[in-house]
Amino acid sequence: MKLKRREFLKLAGATGAGLALSRLGFNVRPIEAASKVTRIHGAREYTSICNFCSCGCGMICHVKDGKLINLEGDPDHIINEGALCSKGAAMYEVPNSDQRVKTPLYRAPGSDRWEKISWETAIEKVAQKIKEVRDENWIEKEKVDGETYEVQRTDAIGFIGGAQNNNEECYLFTKMARMLGVTFLEHQARV
Amino acid sequence: MTNHWIDLKNAKVFLIEGSNCAENHPMSMKWIMKAKENGAVIIHVDPRYTRTSEVADIFVRIRPGTDIAFLNCIINYILKEKLYDEDFVLNQTNALYIADDAFDFKGGVFSGYDEAARKYDNSSWGYDLDGDKKPKKAKSLDDPRCIFSKIKKFFERYDFKTTEKITGTTEEKIKLVAHTMVENKPGTILYALGMTQHTVGVQNIRSFGVLQLLLGNVGKPGSGINALRGEPNVQGSTDMACLFGYLPGYLAPPNHNVADIDTWTKGSGTFRRTFLVNLMKAWFGDHATPENDFCFSLLPKKNGKANYSLFQIFETALEGKMKLAYFMGQNPLVTSPNLNVVQEGLSKMEMVVVQDLFEIETAAFWEKREGVDPSAIDTEVIFLPAAAFMEREGSLTNSGRMVQWRYTGIKPPGEARPDLVILDMIFKKVRELYAGSTERKDEALLKATWDYNYDYDDQEQLIEFAEEVLKEINGYDLTTGELLKSIGELKPDGTTSSGNWVYPGVFANGENLSKRKDNENDPGGLGIYPGFAWSWPGNMHVLYNRASCDSKGRPYDKERAVIWWDEKAGRWTGYDTPDVPNAEEGPDTPSGQRPFRMSGEGVGRLLAATYKDPNPDSDLPRDSSSTPADGPLPEFYEPVESPVDNILHPEVPYNPCVKYPRVESLQPVGDRADYPYVLMTSSLAEHWCAGSVTRNIPWLNEMYPEPVAEMSENLAATLGVATGDWVKVRSARGEIRVKAYVTPRMETMLINGEDIEVVWMPYNWGHKALSRKPSTNYLTIDAGDPNTSIQETKACLVDITRA
Repeated sequence: MKLKRREFLKLAGATGAGLALSRLGFNVRPIEAASKVTRIHGAREYTSICNFCSCGCGMICHVKDGKLINLEGDPDHIINEGALCSKGAAMYEVPNSDQRVKTPLYRAPGSDRWEKISWETAIEKVAQKIKEVRDENWIEKEKVDGETYEVQRTDAIGFIGGAQNNNEECYLFTKMARMLGVTFLEHQARV
Repeated sequence: MTNHWIDLKNAKVFLIEGSNCAENHPMSMKWIMKAKENGAVIIHVDPRYTRTSEVADIFVRIRPGTDIAFLNCIINYILKEKLYDEDFVLNQTNALYIADDAFDFKGGVFSGYDEAARKYDNSSWGYDLDGDKKPKKAKSLDDPRCIFSKIKKFFERYDFKTTEKITGTTEEKIKLVAHTMVENKPGTILYALGMTQHTVGVQNIRSFGVLQLLLGNVGKPGSGINALRGEPNVQGSTDMACLFGYLPGYLAPPNHNVADIDTWTKGSGTFRRTFLVNLMKAWFGDHATPENDFCFSLLPKKNGKANYSLFQIFETALEGKMKLAYFMGQNPLVTSPNLNVVQEGLSKMEMVVVQDLFEIETAAFWEKREGVDPSAIDTEVIFLPAAAFMEREGSLTNSGRMVQWRYTGIKPPGEARPDLVILDMIFKKVRELYAGSTERKDEALLKATWDYNYDYDDQEQLIEFAEEVLKEINGYDLTTGELLKSIGELKPDGTTSSGNWVYPGVFANGENLSKRKDNENDPGGLGIYPGFAWSWPGNMHVLYNRASCDSKGRPYDKERAVIWWDEKAGRWTGYDTPDVPNAEEGPDTPSGQRPFRMSGEGVGRLLAATYKDPNPDSDLPRDSSSTPADGPLPEFYEPVESPVDNILHPEVPYNPCVKYPRVESLQPVGDRADYPYVLMTSSLAEHWCAGSVTRNIPWLNEMYPEPVAEMSENLAATLGVATGDWVKVRSARGEIRVKAYVTPRMETMLINGEDIEVVWMPYNWGHKALSRKPSTNYLTIDAGDPNTSIQETKACLVDITRA
């Protein structure tokens, strides 16, 4: 009987570990296997890709009641074949961490603390500041080596980031920066 | 990567240099070990013995920053002993091209050097051209005017004796590496930040390029030069050009003196002009027409003489010029070198916006701690809580250029939101503030295509949003509204659009191919799996694979044949997408002999000459080759802070194109008399980059709780310290206190008769997260490579004392 590892796991999960495993002729202690199966039994699953180095390892995320309850390497993934490294495996903690910031925050000039603000206020503040800085620091024409050129840009705003973002986010980040006339556009590839 | 992760299993030899892949790219080892089981030999070159060295057959310890000397010595030996692949060199490289007579290298610099400006005029680095502006070719490799003769002369200086003195390794080891590479093919090279974080970073990789071209190790399965990139989507973010010096797809952003597309084409060529037009159609839609130069005038024009890198963001802030910085998932207050500049730069800005998962150091730069008084910092800071990768959908591109889709099934915690939503909110709000403006400066932002209308609270709609953006990147046939299937469909006249010309095909036939999961179909058994996700360009897995075939289109290595010319069918075919300009144009046509079609010449460049390939029917060039700012060949220079003299040319100790310090007050250079030890830094298996995520994971903190200074037993004896004792590590820029970690993994090195000590420290800590410890980057130097600006974090000078 030729089974792919993933199918094997599905079969084991669907029919109860001990029974399935014994049918397949594997010598696995039923209790050990069952405890694993019980945890993800009835959970919804989806796949993602690890967010550390650039190997692009596949992950399976198990969700119950809207909460991530298990994370493991995807055995059907061609690169990692089910394995994860110490960092990748630890990503289970990220959606569940109490260290995550859950609301927009504001730190006023000279202040020694954060205050919670609404998304509306946060976006309003950022957009107003972009406009103010842009309007006050717009370079329409520039003299280089004695010649004047039309350049239409601002050098007073920096956009920084991207290597941990998805392609679609990076693309819009670049598009937004260029449309605003921002030339200081950078990210981790420089480091 | 020229090749891809699974392809590592096809190699017979690995040269791993400047990478500790066992710890930093653990899954690469799965495939390296498969090759090893089949008899492959692993060579690891590094100043420090790591877990990667542990699985290597040959470990070569060299002094930090001396990779070029080591590699050039191997190249010289291969040239001298005629150990190169002659057919490959003759047919797939520019070896026979006649060089410009004026080209020279003397006194530590190439011809055209301007000492006052610390830069080159590269006009003498080209070829002797014929009447059609094509390079003249020599009849044999012995012609003294050909590139091959020029490089033989250039590399001659890297004899064993000289190289031993520079690198600290031995003639015996160098010969062993050379013979191992020559006798085991195909051979692949793996590298990471250990090669790029130097003031000679680009030239380090150029040495790899020359070596692999001489060995014929390009374009074949199991060969290539493979950058193990450090971040999950740094390939994608680079493709999408979150960088000042590029537009998406590596196109040049216009400088001040480039007013229209024709002027742009003079620099970039007609081949790339098509891609630019498609980008303009993606960004400006119907506004972009042939009559208005496709809205080219709406692109901001940078000052061609200025540098807009990450370093200048903080340095111009010191002068009060940078007012607002927006950070999306980057934490420079841990990861950037010489953190004093970052801390001061942030404090001088009017507003700092940070979009992240956790309250990272860059967001909390104003927090009270030693040397920082919040009441003296006037910067407004806004933190925008973002969704983690499992909480949002979208695609990312791994180091092997494979584009994969991430699904989601959970919501971000609290009010945190996906980055796509945050970007959309900000841009729409800015646009609203400018509504009705008729000012020239606001024209681009008002005319930009930005009509993403989705309900942010509806998960299904957010997925559609991400897919709509990927479709925009893929591009459309604007006459039919169909999604493009390949790069070949891009038109130069504005009837197609594509936000990034390397991505057409990812959404071919309306199907999101990044979601594919066929892990069974691997024709050829080479690990290509063409039905698993999608790789750019055109689902190609091994770049330059035309070079795996001889001039007749027959695979050099029958056992690992990947593509070939099928005479009967009249097309290039095989297990991978053939890397040829036109699959139907065979080896008897000019386009069938362009193994490196993305260079102007169409062949591999042993000497990275200046060259513009002509168009038969136009004065505008067809394509333009790229040449490093600091020379067409890789020359060894010492790091900016070095413990020894440059014995090749003491009058030019470090890269003559490096300008440092840029800010005198914050960028002091340490002298070896005060700072006698070499410091190198890197990341860990347990902590990653800034540690923004990993230092918030309790068990990773238990596994690696704090930074250390790893040193040799000799140095520990000199300092009188043992593992666990506190030491003070001091550079010209800063000082931190950490524990000593004494191991035989570090060794005293004999450099030109002198004992040199090298110290290693991880850089992943800062003042926030669950594990708060000193940042090594207060010590490191921010001198940068003249091409990339990337800092020299792999080699600076420090002093160490018992604390």
